[in-house]
Amino acid sequence: MTADFVALLAPWCIATLRGATPLIFATLGETLTQRVGIINLGVEGEMLTGACVGFAVGVATGNPWLGLMAGALAGGALSLLHAGLVLGAGANQIGSGLAVWMIALGGTSFFGRALVGNQVTPLPNLGSSLTDGIPFVGTVMAQATMAVPLAVLAVIFVAWWLAQTRPGLRWKAVGESARIAAENGIHATRVRVTAIVVGGLLAGFGGAVLSVDYTQTWAQEMTKGRGLVAVGLVIVARWKPALVLPVCLLFGLAEVSVLRVQSAGYEFSPHLLGTFPYLVVLVVLVLSHIFARKASAMPADLKAVFA
Amino acid sequence: MSLVTRFPVFAVTVTALCFLFLAAAFFAALGKPPLAMLYSLVVYAVGDAYSVSQTFAKTTPILLCALAIAVPGRLGLISVGAEGQLHAGAIFGTGIVLVAPGLPSVVLIPLMLIAAAAGGGLYGWIPGILRARLDVNETIVTLLMNYVSVLVVSALVFGPWRDPASQGWPATMKFPEGAVLPAVPDTRIHLGLLIGILLAAGLHVFFNHGKWAQKIRILAGNRKVGEMFGLSYAFWVVALMSAGGAIAGIAGIAEVSAIQGRLQPTISLGYGLTGFLVAWLARHQPLVILPVSLFVGALVAGSDALQLFAKVPAASAVIMQGLLFATALAVPGLLARWRAYRDR
Repeated sequence: MTADFVALLAPWCIATLRGATPLIFATLGETLTQRVGIINLGVEGEMLTGACVGFAVGVATGNPWLGLMAGALAGGALSLLHAGLVLGAGANQIGSGLAVWMIALGGTSFFGRALVGNQVTPLPNLGSSLTDGIPFVGTVMAQATMAVPLAVLAVIFVAWWLAQTRPGLRWKAVGESARIAAENGIHATRVRVTAIVVGGLLAGFGGAVLSVDYTQTWAQEMTKGRGLVAVGLVIVARWKPALVLPVCLLFGLAEVSVLRVQSAGYEFSPHLLGTFPYLVVLVVLVLSHIFARKASAMPADLKAVFA
Repeated sequence: MSLVTRFPVFAVTVTALCFLFLAAAFFAALGKPPLAMLYSLVVYAVGDAYSVSQTFAKTTPILLCALAIAVPGRLGLISVGAEGQLHAGAIFGTGIVLVAPGLPSVVLIPLMLIAAAAGGGLYGWIPGILRARLDVNETIVTLLMNYVSVLVVSALVFGPWRDPASQGWPATMKFPEGAVLPAVPDTRIHLGLLIGILLAAGLHVFFNHGKWAQKIRILAGNRKVGEMFGLSYAFWVVALMSAGGAIAGIAGIAEVSAIQGRLQPTISLGYGLTGFLVAWLARHQPLVILPVSLFVGALVAGSDALQLFAKVPAASAVIMQGLLFATALAVPGLLARWRAYRDR
């Protein structure tokens, strides 16, 4: 009985983890950006760019790690546009994020055409002769790649960094009030640019994980709103890096259920099933507003742009 | 003149010049002669009767979507939901046509438009009520809801609504004559454009001269002061979000009925996001939205033709819109910075 249950549980767990991994990176990045008081809807575009460039470099070099690095750099580079518009020109943050998204949407569908149908070398699986045959662990390891533990480690590191280090404290201070932070000798603008770029690097990395490691293909608009989901999940996670992990797993679980229902051969519209992950995020977002204490966790400077 | 308050001639000129420069640089990057390309873009947008008809065809959904964004925008709400509301309107309007295809057009067309407005309105009501009651951010909710109704359209036309005669092509049956919006003969200029222009005029009056104009302005400026005047913020959030949704819903059914002739997955070329751009460029002023949507409609129609005849990538229209948006966001702020620097 227990063995059966474990045998059933393991594939779900690993599929959920793998599905959530790209989103974890993007949501973690957006959490950091929002903690310094900046909202970046451009994460959708940065993920998409990361997925496109990461896949291209992965295909060209045959090395998935180079692809992931290139994807991260591309996302980071694109986030500089948001930083420039918002901090340099004082543009509206929502508008700027959407402009970044539009440029990425057009740019990737143009440059991505040549990538359609290409094969990429995925990251190697973690399973080895040591873990094979162990119940649960064996199954999980056989299907997991380095991206999964890396995402978990990134969450733990950022949670620790933000809570326990002086630079982390400075970032939080900037998010609460850039003015007061500046009066106390913190370069608020420098912190904000850094946070936007770190958010872009993580979003780009997440996008590259999506195309190089998870789907192992490139398709136009393949992120399908994952970056926007990330922005919503930051709110659900109450701007706490540690909570990024569980909320992203929820999205991953929703996606996996869809795939499982489809492969189980039920007569059900794949398009209708496809709405399920978005509906889950919307419901969770609404529930978090009903049950969480009102906006208590929101960085104060963020309220000005994103009430 | 409240028509255009302090029209920023200088900023608009600089923005236009910067955009032209960026567009030229974009064509140069593609390895095409920039000036010749810009010239062809203009020719393909307004060069002959056919081009003009295409430009107006693209202008119509953009205009309606921009108004859909501007209506809640007047209260300071940032809805990005026109794309989803457009699809919701298309679903509801098509539903009426499929249920009663035989009705005479004097009955069917109004019914279809009302159903579409109700569908889009419902789709705007949801983020509205969530914002009003629970303070859920409307930007995120509308962005996520966009993906849902687009998928529902696909589910319907791949499933129960698929026309058996369409040989596997995912689309409903062709709309009967009585369900096709009247159009100027031999053009793609249809009733939707007239509705859009009338709505823009009506909204201008409503938001600038009407009974509620000043009250909404106060509420948008300061919620607490507005509520002191006995205005309900929650009511106006729901009302304006629903009204915006209804307008986008009309854009959806107009596109289905007059342009495509049937409901199918590709009814919108990202008109929702384009409408957001236009509403933003026009600062949510209905009468400014008219020329701006015509300009962007010409840009979209021109790049469409350019793609066919000059082998420019299909993504050009989106890239150019993104560049236009980024320029329009950057220029005013940079000018202000430059002025502050100069006056120091």
